[in-house]
Amino acid sequence: MPTDSPSTDDGSSAFSEFLADYYIECDEHLATARRSILAIEPQLQQSSIDRSLLDELFRSFHSLKGLSAMVGFNEAEELAHQLENFLSAVRKGHVRLEVPGLETLVSGIGTLEQVIAARRDGEAVPDPSALVSSVSLLLADYAENSNTTAPTASASHSPVSLGEKEKVIAEKLRAGAKAWQVTFEPSPELVSRGIDVNFVRNKLLTLGELVHSEPLIDVAGHIVFAFVLVSNDERAPHKLQAEGLVCEAFLPRTATEILQATAVAPAAGDSESSTHLTPPNLVRVDLSRLDDLMRIVGELVLSRARLEDSFRRLNGVMPGGEMRMLQETNSAIERQLRDLREGVMRVRMVSVREVFARMRFVVRDLVRELGTQATLRFSGEDTQIDKYVVERIMDPLLHLVRNAVSHGLEPSDERIAAGKSAVGHIDLRARTTGETVIIEVEDDGRGIDAEAVLAQARARGLVAPQPAKVSDPILDVLCLPGFSTREQADRASGRGVGMDVVRTVVEEMGGMFSMETKQGQGTRFLIQLPLTLAITDALIVQVADQRFAVPQVAVREVLHSDSDRLTLMEKNELLHYHGGVIPLFRLAELFGVDGAKNDSFYTLVIGEGAQAVGLVVDRVLGLREVVVRPLTDRLVKVPGVAGATELGDGKVVLILDVSKLFRVTRQQVNSANPIVTSLAGGTSSLISQNVGAK
Amino acid sequence: MPSESSGVTPFILFELAGTTYAVETQVVQQMEMVEHITPVPNAPAFVDGVVFVRGQAVPVVNLRARFGFPRIVSDAKTRLMVVAYEGRTVGLLVDSAREFITLPAEAVKPPPEAVTGLSGKYLAGIATVGDRVVLVLEVHEVLNFQDLLSPTSVN
Repeated sequence: MPTDSPSTDDGSSAFSEFLADYYIECDEHLATARRSILAIEPQLQQSSIDRSLLDELFRSFHSLKGLSAMVGFNEAEELAHQLENFLSAVRKGHVRLEVPGLETLVSGIGTLEQVIAARRDGEAVPDPSALVSSVSLLLADYAENSNTTAPTASASHSPVSLGEKEKVIAEKLRAGAKAWQVTFEPSPELVSRGIDVNFVRNKLLTLGELVHSEPLIDVAGHIVFAFVLVSNDERAPHKLQAEGLVCEAFLPRTATEILQATAVAPAAGDSESSTHLTPPNLVRVDLSRLDDLMRIVGELVLSRARLEDSFRRLNGVMPGGEMRMLQETNSAIERQLRDLREGVMRVRMVSVREVFARMRFVVRDLVRELGTQATLRFSGEDTQIDKYVVERIMDPLLHLVRNAVSHGLEPSDERIAAGKSAVGHIDLRARTTGETVIIEVEDDGRGIDAEAVLAQARARGLVAPQPAKVSDPILDVLCLPGFSTREQADRASGRGVGMDVVRTVVEEMGGMFSMETKQGQGTRFLIQLPLTLAITDALIVQVADQRFAVPQVAVREVLHSDSDRLTLMEKNELLHYHGGVIPLFRLAELFGVDGAKNDSFYTLVIGEGAQAVGLVVDRVLGLREVVVRPLTDRLVKVPGVAGATELGDGKVVLILDVSKLFRVTRQQVNSANPIVTSLAGGTSSLISQNVGAK
Repeated sequence: MPSESSGVTPFILFELAGTTYAVETQVVQQMEMVEHITPVPNAPAFVDGVVFVRGQAVPVVNLRARFGFPRIVSDAKTRLMVVAYEGRTVGLLVDSAREFITLPAEAVKPPPEAVTGLSGKYLAGIATVGDRVVLVLEVHEVLNFQDLLSPTSVN
């Protein structure tokens, strides 16, 4: 017997793997459900709703029910079952889908997600009973003259899924036979009475045809055996129950589909998708395996950089012909390596569509809660982003969208008074330019009042109560930890993610976070991210004898300038740029690197609009593909440095985090500290920031 | 800190400003010659910079600076002792390092109360090897930099 204690270990690890799959599949079905419901919503006013959408939604619930039953998550199973029931009634035309029904489905999906997430995270499962009863209410009229089985009779054991065999069973059912699912849970007591698996199997064979047998592992890690028996013997269940077996009527899914298909026009692909949860030409890969692959590609890139270095030294030593051949091979490898890198990157890419769809749900909920009117518009949903980035950017985006609805947009009356449309608009855009992904969240609301923000920050003691500095970028104030307008007053922006977290996440991924706002016209938040995190294109610059890498994402333009083109204003150096001026910061000074001030230098223009600044370096050595290595130890985790790389000679080159560098600089300037005072003073204040953030 | 109460513990001996120190072999990942150290701006004063060790960017702690001795120019004897400790990997720059010894646990005595100076708290104990006095390093304290948070202890 396989139920002895040694087997339970295996059983539970197999089960936890099974559970992991369960969560992934639930995620997919929930995503499909969200997509369907959003597509259905605009059709409510029409005379009929697209049948295939209803079918898709129905299948999602059906699968969620089946999957949840299989792992014994009764709350999820029951909830999905109720939603499926309701939808089934809608599909058959017994119930008309109207606004209350749709709202119930929407909150049903939300609750289902919460229930499943709570089980996964080991938290208290929220009570779905309110939702269950609201569904039954919707079905109340219909239930009176319906003869469907009572929904609350949830099976003690999960129905098995048989795939192709179900068709066989369906055939036999049509021929007048009956099918039962028989479940046998071995126990020492039954075994002592001589009832074991073989006994049960033989017993079943005497009663009819044994179509299927399958060992299952239940939640507690016990093995149970499920059999499907097809028989013409009406009394078979009684005979089996007498032996202590659990016996339930078995209705194959395909049979359900067939029964429903007789009532309404058949929908294509019905039977296929109910048994195959993943389309057959897709492979599911653990992200960490792709990380490994990317790391190996990174090492290849480095090796090639070393090769290139060697070639450079061979130049002039080798005969020209030989050298040319080597060079050709070298550039072929470079091209191939780039292709390989892009190939691996493409595998990691997913579209932002799912993320955007989620935002629509958030907006729906918020709009209902706050009573504002808002429409969410998308563009670029097909933009592909690294899976890791997508996952990390979810919470920041949620915050920005929530923020736009709850703070950005004005109430309708205010909007009308200002000559705007009553309904506010939030635009969510994604696009790729070169190696950069740009995500924008823009609202056409009231804009951000800089004075009000400053006043609030002062009231909370986050900003020194000195006279307001107009130049103080308002985004810096918004991103101060602990600052969040009206945060306590409404839970809408909730989940504890503030603007500071948005910026931190973006910058940790080597991106830039910026904002534009116009009083009365709206606010636009801009997130720029590198397409991939492990390898990035960077400008290699030199200051005195030190080289640094500046991610290309951050650099708008490189200018060659002379000292006589500068304007001096107190201690600030200003450079003429596109009809205006930008303040200059010398990297040598920011980093305390010794070196003479050159009359001729290069300026990297960083940031946009009023927030643009120039970073002064001695030389620009070129654009290189660099492999990003993190600087993890707290001894060297300093603001303004994002990581380390090497260019083929084994020496560490620091990768700059320019936006953070400028912010720290600005804070120091604002707090009236010289940029680099004694190293000790600067160091300890920076370190305490780091430690505080841990 | 000696980990076994019975038996012997292997140590690596290294020199710093004319004194011999010992560190448990167990925490030392490898020894390296030092070529180029990239300075890290705004890092603590005793951190000379970073180097790559097995593809990983590792901070270099100048042990002379850490203990308050004057810095010296690196030469052929200078070694980077890469220690892996509590999930961190840090290089310690020392004047030289050559010998392995084993010490019975009871040979390591607690440092005398009267030992003062900056390096006092970095000691796990003191051992006598033949006629030499060897200071056993407390790696945890060396890598810790909580003391930096009080500005007086820097410089």
